[in-house]
Amino acid sequence: MLKRHPIFAYYLRKLITYVFTIWGAFTITFFLFRLLPSNPVDAWVKTLERQYAVQQSSSVANTAAYYKEQFGLNGTLGEQYVRYMYQVFVKGNLGPSFVNYPDPVQTLIMKRLPWTIGLLGTSVILSWVAGIVIGLLAGWFRETRFSGAITNIAISLSQIPAYLIALLLVLVVGYGLKWLPTRGAWDAQYSIGFTLPFILSVLQHAILPATAIVIVSVAGWILTTRSLIITLLGEDYLLYAEAKGLKPWNIMRRYALRNIMLPQATGLALTLGAVMNGQLLIELLFVYPGLGDLLNLAINVYDFNTVLGVILISIVSVMTASLLIDLALPLIDPRIRTQIQST
Amino acid sequence: MNSTKANTPARPQQKVAPDSERRLLQIKDTRVWYTTVAGEAKVVDGVNVTINRNEVFGLAGESGCGKSTLVEGVLRLIKSPGYIKSGQALFTYPKDGNAGETTVNLFELGLGEIRPLRWQHIAYVPQGAMNSLNPVMRISDQITDAILEHGNSTKADATKNMLHRLEMVGLPPSVARMYPHELSGGMKQRVTIAAAVTLRPELLIADEPTTALDVNVQRVILQELLDIRKELNLTIVYVSHDMAVHAELADRLGIMYAGAMMEVGTTSQIFKDPLHPYTQGLIRSIPDISKERVRVEGIPGLAPSPLAWPTGCRFHPRCQFAKDVCRRVEPLLTETKPGRQVACHIYTDAWNEKSPGGTVQ
Ligand SMILES: Nc1ncnc2c1ncn2[C@@H]1O[C@H](COP(=O)(O)OP(=O)(O)OP(=O)(O)O)[C@@H](O)[C@H]1O
Ligand code: SF4
Ligand SMILES: [Mg+2]
Repeated sequence: MLKRHPIFAYYLRKLITYVFTIWGAFTITFFLFRLLPSNPVDAWVKTLERQYAVQQSSSVANTAAYYKEQFGLNGTLGEQYVRYMYQVFVKGNLGPSFVNYPDPVQTLIMKRLPWTIGLLGTSVILSWVAGIVIGLLAGWFRETRFSGAITNIAISLSQIPAYLIALLLVLVVGYGLKWLPTRGAWDAQYSIGFTLPFILSVLQHAILPATAIVIVSVAGWILTTRSLIITLLGEDYLLYAEAKGLKPWNIMRRYALRNIMLPQATGLALTLGAVMNGQLLIELLFVYPGLGDLLNLAINVYDFNTVLGVILISIVSVMTASLLIDLALPLIDPRIRTQIQST
Repeated sequence: MNSTKANTPARPQQKVAPDSERRLLQIKDTRVWYTTVAGEAKVVDGVNVTINRNEVFGLAGESGCGKSTLVEGVLRLIKSPGYIKSGQALFTYPKDGNAGETTVNLFELGLGEIRPLRWQHIAYVPQGAMNSLNPVMRISDQITDAILEHGNSTKADATKNMLHRLEMVGLPPSVARMYPHELSGGMKQRVTIAAAVTLRPELLIADEPTTALDVNVQRVILQELLDIRKELNLTIVYVSHDMAVHAELADRLGIMYAGAMMEVGTTSQIFKDPLHPYTQGLIRSIPDISKERVRVEGIPGLAPSPLAWPTGCRFHPRCQFAKDVCRRVEPLLTETKPGRQVACHIYTDAWNEKSPGGTVQ
């Protein structure tokens, strides 16, 4: 069966890799955090002791023990791990959050996920499309001053860290010119709902953080697209297309763009993880109520459940994106299809 | 093979008088140079040749002598840092259907003006068909896109045309749905030939279309090319370094060396009576397939660099007849009789004056 259907074997292999990578990454994160010298309950008790001079007492110890059980911190590390994995993957429950006790972590994540996906998704897709279009032109007209200027700008931009650009935007456009809001995702005077003022407010608040992400990531797409195009222009089949008398516009569209879509689509999936990291900082700077902001809150109080929940979501989404690309590649690229079939 | 002036008249003469009616493409004093860090590479440096209607013109010469560069120049496919330094390529074609013929200088046309001429009037089978097809497009799309770009045929007509041409080169219709990597080298080459004749061009330029293929496939494809040529009344410029192929295919031959045309004549003239010492060397180097494992006599010496061609006659460092005049004066391509041209001092009157008794042979 497997031998007769290499494509099926390929899919199976990818699927197994997917499951094991998620499991591995998640397990490592689990133990990393459990090995920290503190945990949410101990940290909380310590804070209480410091703030209110509460004495060590049996009632405090009892309360602490109760909460430790709630958070799955009782027993040996191995027991905790098995219990936690069972709870997450069998029962589909990420456990109670500490930052917003007793709300379960999944409720918190679901509340914030739309903001992150909205901001990240829009800006990533925007910069991907813009980067490919600009890079295509810069590569196609590689000997013009326009191309040289674009390339230099993109190279400089790609060297600047995201937070610096975000800071600059906050300071100049936000505080200096006062054109756009720099904090939060919407104006508190509007209640959340599907109303025009609220939507406008959301868009207005998204402009600066989205611009920061676009500016940083577009440079990479411009540079990679440009170099892909320049390599492509040296290919015999592009000269052949020209010899056929095709209009330059058609060659650009049907040959150049089409042929760079594969590497660039793959690249999109691969960079998703890196973009997620950048998003975290951006959310912090703009006090944007997304997952990055939640992760920050959770780390500060050793909220393991929430931290693990957010990380699980990130790992799963990045891995799923790259799995989807892997599964789609043989459908898009005939060469890969044949390669798989012949192995 | 002895090449002497003495036996020239003994050869049967063919009537090849160039007559303006028969001219399809006239290449005049064409130079295609490349700018390099070491100076100008004069890859094509003063080529004169006329291609007549309905002939197969073979362009021969060692690897690197500028054959591909010359035809790419004519097709206006030269890319920076290469450029057409000077010259003319006068091409005669029916511009608007049957409303008479026009002659244009291909080198003077803007890229927007040359585009409609491509494929409709001048088609191209590129050297290295292996990499000339887009790996992520189906064969059918790569043939029909050119048909649809020129003129106004419908998608259905274009498909019919495409399948018909595939059939002409002996490919089954199933090939249309395939991708390039699913085809063998010979099949890809056939695809480029089929694609080139879809619009029945006046001129087909085929650059080493069979060089990468094994001898049997090569034979079949050459035969197909000849059949197509007969059926469609094509003029073909056939580029190859392989003299054996030219012997089978070409009506007339042009021998290039170091970016210039050394000799032009009918194929039988060239083979039976090569005038230029370089041509003589080329013909001597043809492996004789009737004998097994003969040692092929190459032309001694190395091909010169386009950055600095030898002074005078470009062939003089490798020529056994070279004299002082060869090192100083560049011999011009001159007609020894109608349709027969050679660029060598031996065939000028001055040669014997300077060395009485004849040092040739
Ligand atoms: N960009 C370039 N810069 C300098 N020289 C170049 C460049 N491109 C090609 N050439 C020169 O052009 C020559 C090759 O010419 P061309 O390809 O026309 O030869 P050819 O006769 O077709 O040879 P072959 O039989 O190998 O196809 C080489 O000497 C090469 O050095
Ligand atoms: S001109 Fe002189 S060097 Fe050149 S081919 Fe003739 S004899 Fe040889
Ligand atoms: Mg060549």
